[in-house]
Amino acid sequence: MATLAGAPSRGQPLAKSVAAALPWYVAAALVAATSAKVGVIWDISWHRSIGRDTFWTPAHMAIYLGGVLAGLACGWLVLRTTFAGTPEDRAATVRFWGFRGPLGAWVCIWGALAMICSAPFDNWWHNAYGLDVKVLSPPHVLLALGIWAIQLGALFLVLSLQNQRAPEQGSRLYGVLAAYTTAILLQNVSTIGIEQIGFANLAHNALFYQVAAGGVPLLLVAAGRGIRLRWPATTAAACYIAFSLVMIWILQLAPATPKLAPVFNPVTHLIPPPFPLLLIVPAVAIDLAMRRVGRNHDWLLSLLLGIAFLATFAAVQWFFAEFLLGPHARNYFFGVDQWDYSSRLGPWRYRFWRAETNPVTPAALAIAALIAVASARIALWWGNWMARLRR
Amino acid sequence: MKALVALIGLVAAAHVGSPDTYFEGAAGPYPVRVIVRSPGVVPGLAQITVRLLSPQGARRVLVLPVYWDPRTAAPPPPDVAERVPGDSTLYSAALWLMTGGSYGVQVTVEGAAGSGTALVPVMAVATRRLALDTPLGAALLGLGLFLCVGAVTLIGVAVRESGLEPGATPDSRRTRRSRVAMGIATVVLALALLGGRAWWNGVDAAYRSGLYQPLRATATVRTAGTTSVLRLAIDDTSWTNPKRQWTPLVPDHGHLMHLFLVRDSTLDAFAHLHPLPRDSITFESDLPPLAPGPYRVYADIVHESGFAQTLVATVQIGVPAGRWRPSDPDDAWTTGNGQRATGNAVSLPDGSTMTWERGDAPVVVDREAPLRFAVTDPGGRPATLEPYMGMPGHLMLTRDDGAVFVHLHPAGTVSLASIETFALRQLGDTIRGQLGARLTAMEKETGVHRQEPLPAPDSLSFPYAFPKPGHYWMWLQVKRAGRILTGTFDVDVRQSATGR
Repeated sequence: MATLAGAPSRGQPLAKSVAAALPWYVAAALVAATSAKVGVIWDISWHRSIGRDTFWTPAHMAIYLGGVLAGLACGWLVLRTTFAGTPEDRAATVRFWGFRGPLGAWVCIWGALAMICSAPFDNWWHNAYGLDVKVLSPPHVLLALGIWAIQLGALFLVLSLQNQRAPEQGSRLYGVLAAYTTAILLQNVSTIGIEQIGFANLAHNALFYQVAAGGVPLLLVAAGRGIRLRWPATTAAACYIAFSLVMIWILQLAPATPKLAPVFNPVTHLIPPPFPLLLIVPAVAIDLAMRRVGRNHDWLLSLLLGIAFLATFAAVQWFFAEFLLGPHARNYFFGVDQWDYSSRLGPWRYRFWRAETNPVTPAALAIAALIAVASARIALWWGNWMARLRR
Repeated sequence: MKALVALIGLVAAAHVGSPDTYFEGAAGPYPVRVIVRSPGVVPGLAQITVRLLSPQGARRVLVLPVYWDPRTAAPPPPDVAERVPGDSTLYSAALWLMTGGSYGVQVTVEGAAGSGTALVPVMAVATRRLALDTPLGAALLGLGLFLCVGAVTLIGVAVRESGLEPGATPDSRRTRRSRVAMGIATVVLALALLGGRAWWNGVDAAYRSGLYQPLRATATVRTAGTTSVLRLAIDDTSWTNPKRQWTPLVPDHGHLMHLFLVRDSTLDAFAHLHPLPRDSITFESDLPPLAPGPYRVYADIVHESGFAQTLVATVQIGVPAGRWRPSDPDDAWTTGNGQRATGNAVSLPDGSTMTWERGDAPVVVDREAPLRFAVTDPGGRPATLEPYMGMPGHLMLTRDDGAVFVHLHPAGTVSLASIETFALRQLGDTIRGQLGARLTAMEKETGVHRQEPLPAPDSLSFPYAFPKPGHYWMWLQVKRAGRILTGTFDVDVRQSATGR
């Protein structure tokens, strides 16, 4: 444990150092959070490429694995801590209905239970109202809440480890892992906002900026406050982009054939998710602003962060979207211009959608800025709480 | 799960109370019997089974549902049906019916004799609403409450203890703040649950409004001089609206409408008429001299989309006004249901005999019903039958209470016109009426009213399984020497041992 100050001690391999620093249940929660997110992105790709699914698709398996792993690992941890833990173990936990465990473990257990509850509910829903007509249904919302809880739980577990160490002891590993978990939560924002902020074609309408202003600062600013890294928001944004790129590059390799009518676009492989938002630039701005203003001016800071986020995000995304719609992005690396099997391909692929009906006006940008400021303010409250999380 | 299903709404598209599709025909050189079990919801998975009726081996069986509208059909590759373990001639697959409406299911058999395809029309409609049964509902409610209480507790714990140094105990300020947080969380959660409930109710209401209902129809009888005229009006606003979504009607066996009258309660009078269209809403037919009383009316129609449906109405018939002049030569009626000389044999008016070869086994719900019949002439030899509207026989059956009414042919429950619409449909068929005109022209050319005798069949058989237990009446109509003959039978159908 003594060597987890980021750099491994001389002569000790990195993997060994990480293994020593990372309790098994935190590793399990991180794998669970990753598995569930991979499963969700894979499942969306599956529905866009193949259409038909069963309970047993590999994408669904990855989601279930997330629930099972997090639930079992944290459940076992709670039982062990409650009945066989040392007084020190128990002292570093919270009490829940007489049982003891870290807060993150409880959130993971709640998430696993929510996922389990969603299964019979979803099964009944399909029998009653038909197969998924809409992605958003009450049982799917319950499932999503469960997945988010597991990812949040993993974040809380890592943060409590980070915060249990004195700042001078260093905690880079935990900081990076917390940034990575924040990246998974940023992926959730991309997933639920796929119709508003997913595709580059949306980047010239007002809603794109308003939705992004609501979801992204909430996580980047909270990371900036809660994670002990020199560049916390930037690391989280980099992890978010890396996560997307890996999914884009791997999914394209899997062959797939559409199996539901109507098939207007005979795809031959899994359709990758849209290219990620270039959050690295706004994240750098957030990190710089937070470093400069410090911790005691949160109202002012949120005003600054909201405006800085929107300004950098809009400047980057506006022009990058033009590149993504152009011919030079249509390749394996960027993975763009790949559409659902049920899409009738047409010139809409290279146009900005709703740019005329919902244009980016100064008024629309002002609304987006207000949303970004509010999002940043909430994120600072949340980040302050995360910075204090010790159990 | 099926035992727990509470079925609300008993209609089925073509036919009443009988949502499954039965088909017997040829996939090229291979005779097949196909059953499609309706899922009752759309989008849903229908189960299809294909029975090969000839000994020649098949290499594989492929199934593909194709939506009627060529603008949105664009089907994926067909599915390979799996052989059912323990039965070398039975194949099974799931059909993904994603859109409500009419599908032509292509059943292709590949084997030593080459490859052949049969077209089986299937109507995808939502016919039932699944009630949330008490055990599942209670379990979900309990789990939901547990999750809610857990979430509120978690928030309380997070505020009270999670920021404390290990071993420290929360002070009164933290405890107070934790209680406030739990209170706020309870209010937020309650509002979220109320929102969720409203959402669920909205989905349910939308689903209910989308449940299939046949077009509304009203039947009346009017007297015109010395004749009584039955008039059926399709007075449903979704049909009478000039911008209606429904496609036009196409003739089935040469008739736009097959109308059946069954005397209510006693079920001792039956007529099969073919009303003529006065306009696109009103159909009229001269009424045969049926006994006065209340009657159930069932009217089979087929749309250009291949969608076949049975309209349901009731009518009060009075004393006949005069002589009956059939509006159509294919009209026929019968009265009295006590004509059975012996158990399964019925004497027909021309001296011939119709026998139901039902065997001794009980007739059970959801099992293949032994609907095999033979007609013998007065000398006891197999009778030479003529096609009656293109078919060797038409079998109508209904349960005493009218909850089931089905019009069967030896080809099963499917409408021949539906099959024809799928066979004749072209990718460019986007103008309403185009396909109907082509179909009518084809029927004229091939002559649906062929009068040349059929080879005398050993027996007439109808592929079907009764959907519900109860007492049923059946009317089998054949044509011999230019005369339409109707034999009446009844049967008790038992619940299956498995409870379905």
